[in-house]
Amino acid sequence: MAVNPREATTLEPQTAAPPLAETAGAPIRQASLWRDAYRRYLRNKGAVAAAVVFGIIVFYCLFIPGFWFIPGIWPRVFGIDPNQVNFAEVYLPPSLEHPFGTDQFGRDLWTRVAKGGQVSIGIGFAATIAILVIGIAYGSISGFVGGRLDNAMMRFLDALYGLPFLPFAILSLAIIGTVNFWTMVIALTIASWFTAARVVRGQVITLKQNDYVRAAQAVGARWHRVLVRHLLPNTLGVLIIFIFLELPNVVLGEAFLSFIGLGINPPDASWGSLASEGREAYRTHPLDLWIPCLFIAALVLCANFIADGLRDALDPRTRET
Amino acid sequence: MAALIIRRIVWTIPVLLLVIFMIFIMMRQIEGNPFRRTERAVPPAVQANLERKFNLDKPWYMQYLLYVKGVFTLDLGPSLVLRDRSVTDIVKEHFPRSLKLGVLAFLWAIVFGIPAGVIAALRPNTVYDYLLMFFSSIGFALPSFFVATLLIYYFALKVNAFPTNGWPLGFWDIDSRVVLPSLALGLFPMAYFARLVRGTMLETMQQDYVRTARAKGLRWKSVVTRHVFRNSLIPVVTATAPLFGLIITGTFVIEIIFSIPGIGRYFIASVSNRDYSVVMGITVLTSVIIIIANLCVDIAYAFLDPRTRTSRT
Repeated sequence: MAVNPREATTLEPQTAAPPLAETAGAPIRQASLWRDAYRRYLRNKGAVAAAVVFGIIVFYCLFIPGFWFIPGIWPRVFGIDPNQVNFAEVYLPPSLEHPFGTDQFGRDLWTRVAKGGQVSIGIGFAATIAILVIGIAYGSISGFVGGRLDNAMMRFLDALYGLPFLPFAILSLAIIGTVNFWTMVIALTIASWFTAARVVRGQVITLKQNDYVRAAQAVGARWHRVLVRHLLPNTLGVLIIFIFLELPNVVLGEAFLSFIGLGINPPDASWGSLASEGREAYRTHPLDLWIPCLFIAALVLCANFIADGLRDALDPRTRET
Repeated sequence: MAALIIRRIVWTIPVLLLVIFMIFIMMRQIEGNPFRRTERAVPPAVQANLERKFNLDKPWYMQYLLYVKGVFTLDLGPSLVLRDRSVTDIVKEHFPRSLKLGVLAFLWAIVFGIPAGVIAALRPNTVYDYLLMFFSSIGFALPSFFVATLLIYYFALKVNAFPTNGWPLGFWDIDSRVVLPSLALGLFPMAYFARLVRGTMLETMQQDYVRTARAKGLRWKSVVTRHVFRNSLIPVVTATAPLFGLIITGTFVIEIIFSIPGIGRYFIASVSNRDYSVVMGITVLTSVIIIIANLCVDIAYAFLDPRTRTSRT
């Protein structure tokens, strides 16, 4: 029987189809699956570079201005506050103290961009995870229960797909009334959770037909047990990839909203609102616009490359090619 | 297949009703009634008349039904800020400008994106491929507002080849002012098409029927045009539906940067002005466009892929 006995007892994710011959060395093989993926990932130079750049960006955003319990390097060394207005130091060129120069209010851009990055990346990850949680709940129920409920839930999604992203997010923000970090997360989540639900549903339906699920059902496991113990762990790889595929969309969505002035408000900053501020004088001081934009672009590119690398490393179907 | 298409068209109606319902409910949740401003006290009689004029005295389901009726008769109600203008007038005036922007952006994507993908797929892992895919990755990652400002910076300010803003107002008027905005908006779909076409063409080349075609002695050129390229276009057609939504999102930003008096810019201004009927009208309009785009894509798909004609759940 091709049923893999490990599946009933472990929550360890296994993205590959159950191996045909080597069922015997089960626990060791389990660990080496992730090690395999890790090795495959390391072989992909672009993905490794992207991960390194991503790490550097996150490090820069956290450690330069400081975050929560992390002491900021720049506030310590130079005594700089990213929101400190200083009209004596307007539009300074880059220097050691202000590596990116200062903006039209004399605020240090180096720490401001880092602060904005905390907001942008923070919103990105928070919204992506919220999207995933909702998508998993909706998609797995729909995909697993199937039948009429599935049909109804999918038709509802079809209708939601008719709503345009930006107006939908703007309306959600208008309903909430205030704009801050968490309301942005909520609005972006509301406006973009449907794709996740579809992906999860498709994944669940594919996995549902696997032998070990049939076996679990045959021995009398109820549907929620099969769902939680078999299907969700097996979609983990796909979900990790999805995080890095969705992150750029959310970051860009936040940037759009802040850029058109309906997102993060001053004096708080995100990369989108910094770009919006920088646009006011980009003819004479293009740096103020380009730096936040380049950070957005770098983040989006890195996330795309990481997602590609993860897919090659984790998805068994692309492995041969 | 006719039955399938009819079923698909009929199915669009409840989707439309549901979407309008959701937008309607969302609009009702927004804080603040435009007619209950505290700084301008209105006598009760005037208040009642205003409410009657905008159907606010009726129960919510009647308001919804009246609104749906308005959508289908192309009457989206009066604007709350510009009292002498109806939402339909505003849409009629501003929408064609945005539509032109979107269509031109799509043209950029089709004219340059698809050939780029074909070239990259026909010469995989060569300099051409790497260069094209490098540029497509960049086009994929750069936010459109950055592309727009870069284009203005170089092509309008440094080189002086194109104007920085402005827009020919008639739908069929095209001059040098349309180049930069449409390119800025079209870069993302261009990059997307290039990637998609390359990916699907490489995948199609692995198919058995391509091998059969080559084995029976068909020239490679014919194999590519008859078999590979045709079949690779199916995902491109499918991808146009979500791209529609993205282009609508893009026009909002591009219109602001290039000062194009289109529907997106008007929408954002209306959000700040609390012109609810305009906000609602434009949201409904964009939803209807997306739903119809989806419908068209599905129908086109049924024509392109014979398998969907017979088997369909």
